[in-house]
Amino acid sequence: MKVLLVAEKPELLSELAGFLKDLESKAGPVETAAFTAAPSLDEARKFSAYVAAKTYVAVAERVFPDQLSKAALDIVDRENPDLVIGVATKTGNEVVARVAGAKGIPMMTEIVDVEARDGALLFHRAVLGGRAISVLKPALPAAATIPARKYEVPQPGEPGELVEVQLPSSALSLVKVEEKEKGGVNIEEAEVVIGVGRGFRKKEDLAMAEELANMLGGAVGCSRPIAADYHWLPEDAWIGISGKKIRPKLYMAIGISGAPQHMSAVLDAKVIVAVNKDKNAPVFQYADYGVVADLYQFLPVFIQKLKEKLGG
Amino acid sequence: MNVAVFVKASLDPNMLRVDSSGRILVEDIPLAISEYDRNAVEEAVRLKEKHGGKVVALSALTWGPIQKRVREAEQVLREALAMGADEAYLLVDEALIPGNPYTTAGALAALAQKVGEFDLYLTGEGSMDTLSFQMAARLGEALGVPAVSYARALEVSEGKARVTRDLEEHLETVEVNLPAVVSVTGEINKPRLPTLLQIRRAFAKPLDKLSLADVSYTPPSAAVEVEELRLLAVSRKNIIVEGTSLEEIASKLVDLLVKEGIVK
Ligand SMILES: Cc1cc2nc3c(=O)[nH]c(=O)nc-3n(C[C@H](O)[C@H](O)[C@H](O)COP(=O)(O)OP(=O)(O)OC[C@H]3O[C@@H](n4cnc5c(N)ncnc54)[C@H](O)[C@@H]3O)c2cc1C
Ligand SMILES: Nc1ncnc2c1ncn2[C@@H]1O[C@H](COP(=O)(O)O)[C@@H](O)[C@H]1O
Repeated sequence: MKVLLVAEKPELLSELAGFLKDLESKAGPVETAAFTAAPSLDEARKFSAYVAAKTYVAVAERVFPDQLSKAALDIVDRENPDLVIGVATKTGNEVVARVAGAKGIPMMTEIVDVEARDGALLFHRAVLGGRAISVLKPALPAAATIPARKYEVPQPGEPGELVEVQLPSSALSLVKVEEKEKGGVNIEEAEVVIGVGRGFRKKEDLAMAEELANMLGGAVGCSRPIAADYHWLPEDAWIGISGKKIRPKLYMAIGISGAPQHMSAVLDAKVIVAVNKDKNAPVFQYADYGVVADLYQFLPVFIQKLKEKLGG
Repeated sequence: MNVAVFVKASLDPNMLRVDSSGRILVEDIPLAISEYDRNAVEEAVRLKEKHGGKVVALSALTWGPIQKRVREAEQVLREALAMGADEAYLLVDEALIPGNPYTTAGALAALAQKVGEFDLYLTGEGSMDTLSFQMAARLGEALGVPAVSYARALEVSEGKARVTRDLEEHLETVEVNLPAVVSVTGEINKPRLPTLLQIRRAFAKPLDKLSLADVSYTPPSAAVEVEELRLLAVSRKNIIVEGTSLEEIASKLVDLLVKEGIVK
């Protein structure tokens, strides 16, 4: 079997190498080739060592998905892989979907596991808002993306042969780029996460959640609208299938309805507490302890009681 | 300016049904408009209100059994019509069930080509049931037009679209010539809630059903088989902390957190 790894940045090759190692441990040795865009050939060489295979390189600072997919298609035609594998970043998913679209082959987005069963490869992925796992058996050739930062990076070997390729032009032209604010919070490591949702009426009110988080030695996380729509918190506080997955000792969901796209990313929490004024909110189905109350009335009292406990 | 907007009748992940062994009862899960497709319809209707032209809503039924599901899919398209779409078309064919972006994309592209000429094709960023995040890219390939993903803002003028893409690290504003496919994020706008009158009027708008033969499309034959579909188990205590006052409830919750070893 032959695999083509596709990366928009050379660093991603090391994660893809982690996947490859897992695949080989299950399905036996595979032949590999890689394609990456890179700021320089040296960078590409450095990361090519992780996949230890022939690496096609497009030297470029900034690339659009259509340029990468067109270049990748040429390489697919040259290498004839059984599998095209990328990383499930927004760009990675789009590049691989374009390649799959142009070749008329199946693609499985963000596979969380691969399995060899009766000589066939099965791919596991999350569906239904992240609440279910679907196990797929595609006809090969097929394409897939792996979750970012999932696979342990293996030891690098020798860099492979580098083949420089040219990028075609894009149908898009750049107008401007604005960097996003970084929060520096690490909700993935926090033992306690206080999650805030649209039940909060304004940014200033999040101070209550901050206070709770401080008292419990934790961090504040949020539902998608709080970060992506209102920008009350930086995006690294965003919990859910399109944000972060967390596994704290305590997750406290306050003013969060409990959409599957949010809750599926906190299923591994040890204890879940929900505070919501609607007793029918789905979040209570996911909670160990539920409080049906207006957060504006409940939180001040709860903070007071907690202070008494911690102070005493 | 004519806009085609793709809306998916998705399994509603808020309404999952399982049997006692945890097997998902797909046929019992209701279909609903995929969350971010509402944003796509809203954006299409706003563009029409600004630039004139029409909005055509397109959908392919990807969940069976057809008999039962057609009405639900029509309901989803009626919702788009009530929000302001002018016409709707539903592709219904056994060959598209169960759906997969790999078979659906070509079929949707053929449907769009069959029913009109469009300056812009809008999709949601990802569908809430299958979460594949592929369709805009695949539609771009199938229609032979540029595709731009993750629009958080969209403006159209003089045959061009200016799109602000919401990426992990930055917002990237780009320009592209029309026609183009654009996928929108859930943050691009606030979808309107149609009034009762608009909902009623939607029943007078055209909604046609077509088959793959009608749009002259043959899906690829190689299969993607679904070997298993299982729910991730949730087992929680589900205790509602009760009391006669908020003070009492708060104290009880503190005690519970002490007992769980979280508050020390
Ligand atoms: C493809 C896709 C990906 C998505 N990815 C994510 C993701 O990664 N993360 C995510 O979070 N969402 C995601 N979503 C969106 C998700 O479906 C929900 O829309 C979102 O999680 C809702 O956020 P919320 O709970 O804060 O807001 P709402 O659903 O509006 O809920 C607010 C809740 O607050 C309660 N409330 C209101 N006032 C008070 C009060 N005073 N006191 C107490 N309670 C109050 C209400 O009863 C309600 O339950 C995704 C959706 C799709 C389709
Ligand atoms: N069967 C379908 N019918 C109509 N539109 C669809 C269908 N499947 C996907 N789409 C569109 O493509 C978007 C992304 O879907 P997906 O790539 O499946 O996650 C959705 O938000 C819809 O706009």
